[in-house]
Amino acid sequence: MRRVVHIMPDMVFIAVAVITIGAAILALESRELVYGAVALAVSFLGVAGIFILLDAVFLAMMQVLVYVGSIAVLIIFVVMLVRREKWVSIPAGKERIMGVIASVSLLAFVGFVVLGSGLTETFTSTATPPSFFEIGRQLVTEYGLTLQILGLVLALAVIGALTMAKVEGIRSK
Amino acid sequence: METFEDFLKRIIVVVFWLLLLLPFIIFPFIFIVVPALGIPLPTANQVLTALLDPLKALPLVNDLGLGPSSLFFKIAAFPGFTFAALVATGIILYERKLMAKVQVRVGPLYAGRFEGILQPIADLVKLLFKELLVPAKADKTFFFIAPSLSLALATALLAVIPLAPDIFIARSEVSLLIPFAIIGLTPLVILIAAWASSNKFAFIGGLRALHQLIAYEIPMMLSLVGVVILSGSLDLFGIVEAQRGLWFILPQLLGASIFYVTMLSELERIPFDLPEADTELVAGWLTEYSGMHFGLLQLATYVKFYALAVLFTLIFLGGWIGPAFLPPFAWLLIKLFFVITFMLLPRAFMPRVRMDQLIRLGWVWLIMLAFVNLFIALVQASIGVIL
Repeated sequence: MRRVVHIMPDMVFIAVAVITIGAAILALESRELVYGAVALAVSFLGVAGIFILLDAVFLAMMQVLVYVGSIAVLIIFVVMLVRREKWVSIPAGKERIMGVIASVSLLAFVGFVVLGSGLTETFTSTATPPSFFEIGRQLVTEYGLTLQILGLVLALAVIGALTMAKVEGIRSK
Repeated sequence: METFEDFLKRIIVVVFWLLLLLPFIIFPFIFIVVPALGIPLPTANQVLTALLDPLKALPLVNDLGLGPSSLFFKIAAFPGFTFAALVATGIILYERKLMAKVQVRVGPLYAGRFEGILQPIADLVKLLFKELLVPAKADKTFFFIAPSLSLALATALLAVIPLAPDIFIARSEVSLLIPFAIIGLTPLVILIAAWASSNKFAFIGGLRALHQLIAYEIPMMLSLVGVVILSGSLDLFGIVEAQRGLWFILPQLLGASIFYVTMLSELERIPFDLPEADTELVAGWLTEYSGMHFGLLQLATYVKFYALAVLFTLIFLGGWIGPAFLPPFAWLLIKLFFVITFMLLPRAFMPRVRMDQLIRLGWVWLIMLAFVNLFIALVQASIGVIL
């Protein structure tokens, strides 16, 4: 029983990583757009799982709320609404092969750098993970101005989007 | 056309192959996989005695790591799935009887001799024996995934909801956020189910559900920010313990009302049942689901109902807090009963709202009131209403 418990975190990490990357590949390669959109949502969920494994539950919940709960749902909604033909053919041209070669070589390069940098040893820490209390306190004290500017930018974006939608509506009339 | 003899033959062939193949699966499992994992197996004698005497079965189950204090038992049985499903079936029967009494009808009467008390079981048996119909043009994968996914999401809600100081599955620093993050996934499942049915009614129902759920998710979360400010905690335990002096429903009456309305909308219950409006859309996004698929979706709805009712009790009614002559869990159940009754009642006498009314209520009124409530909570926190 002990042995099972001991290998558990690694197993969970591998499973989450496989789900995340597999779903991401499926999201790009799926010939059915709706499947791709749902795979994207699953991939976001996998990222949330990795956050949970890193003890950042608050961040994971925000990831689920924002990315899966809103963005992925909107993408799926649009895909379902505008869908014309069932299967979208993806051209298997020269660009595709070039893309695969480029990404694999980039991955190999990054892996080589990481392996050569001495980060291969497992790093264990007994320090408690930073709580979201501390994050919140820092946000409203030290980074208060940044937070307000971020809020202003978001508000501007919303107002801009609304205005553009209104203008489009008036023009089409 | 298949005769009854063909049917019998088919079943006998299946049983024959199962009997032939099972040893090849069971024996390797018992003799190779189980010793490799290091799980102690009871002898045949112990198993037979345990069957006769449940008290002797307890240590055996504990050895297997499935006892009442194990995580598996918590997830599968007591605060987790089985308990929630039982409460959910209870809610279904209670709803039918309550609605009947309010509307001066009789309701379920015959099953079980006393007031139709066995009606849920009869319904379950009926659903189990019905044929699973799949539309010819349906997307089979999504069509089959959606019901189980829906139930899985509803059950995942239970993970961090405590029922008493010592009855819970998991604790988390942010256990107030987790159920709402999971609720945020519901539109995804509904869209999948609606799209996979390839039915106009189902798709319209799915789109309505999407609009409704997205519009009501924001006031739902905003209405709880007041409670978070007053209790200074995102942990459900902390929120309940902060209500020792005063239940949050009194200072946060506005927040509680907003949460109540959004809860009804989230569950697609009658003033807000546009996604499955049966006079307009057959059954909305549930149209093509039959048999046990429908059963699973229905069970998921009522498990969610139970989870949200418990959340309301914990957040606004002080959870398990009460005088000491009853155990905390009993107090929670009593409060839960009243909350469930209060959530069931609108269905008995309310008409359905229109789509534009629904959207206006969500995006304009509820969000505005939620901000007003936030302001009230800030004033209360600065005065120091709750300490």
